[in-house]
Amino acid sequence: MNRHVLEKGHSAYPRGSAFSNSPNRFQPRSQPALRRRRQLFQRLFLLGGVSLVLFLLIFPSWRAAILPSISLGLLSYPGDLHLQTVRYYDLSEVQGTEKGWERGERVLMCTPLRDASSHLPMFFSHLRNLTYPHHLIDLAFLVSDSRDDTLGMLSRMLEDIQNDADPKMPYGEISVIKKDFGQKVQQDVESRHGFEAQASRRKLMAQARNWLLSATLRPTHSWVYWRDADVETAPFTIIEDLMRHNKDVTVPNVWRPLPDWLGGEQPYDLNSWQESETALALADSLDEDAVIVEGYAEYATWRPHLAYLRDPYGDPDMEMELDGIGGVSILAKARVFRAGVHFPAFSFEKHAETEGFGKMAKRMKFSVIGLPHYTIWHLYEPSVDDLRHMEEMEVERLAREKEEQQRAEQKDNTQSKSLVDDQNVDGEEVQGSAEGPAGQPMKDAMDSTQGHLKAQAERVDEAEKAKS
Amino acid sequence: MRRTSPISLVLAALLAFGFICFMLSPSTPSASSASASSQQRQENAAEHPLSPPTKPFFKSQPVRSDGYKAAPPVVHYDLNSLTNTPDSVANGERVLILTPLARFYQGYWDNIERLTYPHELISLGFIAPKTSEGNAAVAALEKAIAKTQSGPIDNRFASISILRQDFEPPLKSQGEKARHAMAAQKERRESMSRARNSLVFTTLGPATSWVLWLDSDIVETPATLIQDLTGFDQPVIVPNCFQRYYDSSKKKWDVRPYDYNSWVDSQTAQNLAANMGPDEILLEGYAEMPTYRTLMAHLPDMKKLDPKKMLALDGVGGTALLVKADVHRDGGMFPAFPFFHLVETEGFAKMARRLGYEVIGLPDYFVYHYNE
Repeated sequence: MNRHVLEKGHSAYPRGSAFSNSPNRFQPRSQPALRRRRQLFQRLFLLGGVSLVLFLLIFPSWRAAILPSISLGLLSYPGDLHLQTVRYYDLSEVQGTEKGWERGERVLMCTPLRDASSHLPMFFSHLRNLTYPHHLIDLAFLVSDSRDDTLGMLSRMLEDIQNDADPKMPYGEISVIKKDFGQKVQQDVESRHGFEAQASRRKLMAQARNWLLSATLRPTHSWVYWRDADVETAPFTIIEDLMRHNKDVTVPNVWRPLPDWLGGEQPYDLNSWQESETALALADSLDEDAVIVEGYAEYATWRPHLAYLRDPYGDPDMEMELDGIGGVSILAKARVFRAGVHFPAFSFEKHAETEGFGKMAKRMKFSVIGLPHYTIWHLYEPSVDDLRHMEEMEVERLAREKEEQQRAEQKDNTQSKSLVDDQNVDGEEVQGSAEGPAGQPMKDAMDSTQGHLKAQAERVDEAEKAKS
Repeated sequence: MRRTSPISLVLAALLAFGFICFMLSPSTPSASSASASSQQRQENAAEHPLSPPTKPFFKSQPVRSDGYKAAPPVVHYDLNSLTNTPDSVANGERVLILTPLARFYQGYWDNIERLTYPHELISLGFIAPKTSEGNAAVAALEKAIAKTQSGPIDNRFASISILRQDFEPPLKSQGEKARHAMAAQKERRESMSRARNSLVFTTLGPATSWVLWLDSDIVETPATLIQDLTGFDQPVIVPNCFQRYYDSSKKKWDVRPYDYNSWVDSQTAQNLAANMGPDEILLEGYAEMPTYRTLMAHLPDMKKLDPKKMLALDGVGGTALLVKADVHRDGGMFPAFPFFHLVETEGFAKMARRLGYEVIGLPDYFVYHYNE
């Protein structure tokens, strides 16, 4: 090729108009003209420069567009250019499968809190032990109408967990939401144990749940796990265990331990049930805004409850179709919530809150199941009746102890008398210190624990739950 | 000038250049010379990508001293201080514009770009089906977004989320005839409900005060739409949706009603509903099912318009609809099942009313639909 070009000689040069000016042509010198207008150019440049500066000062928003070009890319404009404003999500990738932890599916864990500072240490010990990969779990808390330091304590414990030395400990996104619904609850303090107050209280709680979910559900979530703070015992693998069933909504059985004199244990959550003919007929007879609450004698529904079907030795994987569910521990696919199922804060098919949630999920043809033989244990907080009974037992116990002590004293007295006579004065002193000052603080401690229990009981009643 | 050496000229130029740079580029993002809007944007931004979609986030992420990526921070949101007032701009209330994206119209995008509500307070959310039509719409949308979000800062929106639906739309064709056939209507609107719910409940986040539902074929609204509608301070408010068309008989452009889903209920309709099975729904605008409801679309008297006129409604359309975020937070959603024999936006109005909220229509305040 090269040889060929060389042979041709001139073909290596471009020909045509580009080199058309011949050396013989006269070319005028341009210098003098430029020199003549030099002042004009200077003024123009100066004017242009000043106006540009003014322009940039007046319209700051144009800087990002202009500055990089005039500064030759030497300056990086700080600010917006470092912000990511557009997000793209494909919801078909977050459907939720039975092995979510292997596919990296994100779980939103929602916990409503109210005056819960006494439960938080227990709750966080559960949290630290969860086996589902922590970085895949986003935590969401709603703190409402709290009179104790729930919020402060919660944030401290969350900071600890996020700054944990173990890189596997920190969770994903953490949202702590503060919202008081107040007022209405405070007003009917006297009637809140009552059956009449149940409906409006359930509606308020539904509202709280909806606010929490709507503020924290993201397009990245495949699952949503609702968990109350007052669960005492639950398997660390609970998320995986419930997920393995691959159903749209799954709840475990919820019981609570009891003191021995009350029988040792008791079904706790009676909101998980299957619909019955009686209940449907009852629902038809009520007006549009009525709310049926399970577990009250006023509405005898004869529904089969998940709680009563428990067999301690039964197969924990057994499933049972449900229509209403309780809210202590719910695992649901995020697509259920995305479809619009929520906790009705109005009467939905005569139900509200979690029971209404179950009903609505069924209405939209999602599967709702309970696991009768897979049990988690709710904290036992004595009710008022229990407290009264405990008080009586305490009095009995004290009386018995006193009797024993007196018997022992009598024994002592006879012994000391028989021992030495001239140590009489010292002996009295010893006796005094054993009975008086030592006995007092013990009684104080007893009173204060009972006071504490009472306060707790009030909180329980406030903190709801339909109990049998 | 003549006697100065070139070197001193160069030095002076350098000095001037340095001065300009110093004046215009703050050393820290929070320096006072940064524009108010970009500073506000910075402050609103989330630290971590795991954050509400209504917030932008910083591209660079902090790293822990031991080399691991820093864990997401604990973020507090006080929803007690989240307001939705008639003075929405002054109170810095955030608006989320939600659009189920069927097709992309440049007119739609130009219109929302023209909105005078401060753009740093506006977040956008879109949801599109995973069909070829949806793909085309999203591609066109992304092109428009890229242009706006790299343009002048004051014109950019706070954040934009694009979602792709996780279920199939019931109808493959979206032709005008097929779309309105009564038999297909129920299925179509139930699917639409799911799309709307998926969109609102994943993008609402903790900072939104107002949600503006705006269909992708609304191509003309007043530029002050958001200020005007929030000014009424109503939980659910719907303007009248009309359409511009060329009247060939009169040889001039005219307007005609488009959205018939905003209505006041009638006894006839209630009687119809009472005799229906639990899975049947009432539909508006079909001769087979006369409801004799009062339709907002037919109310305006073009000769004397009063844009401030309000009307309590029982059903609303979703072409343009402003909702206080509280309504959605309380659980107000678009029923994808017959809810009191109503679905989608009409069912939403019913649900909002059951939650104790008022539903208001503005018969003489117009937005305009694209003419197909």
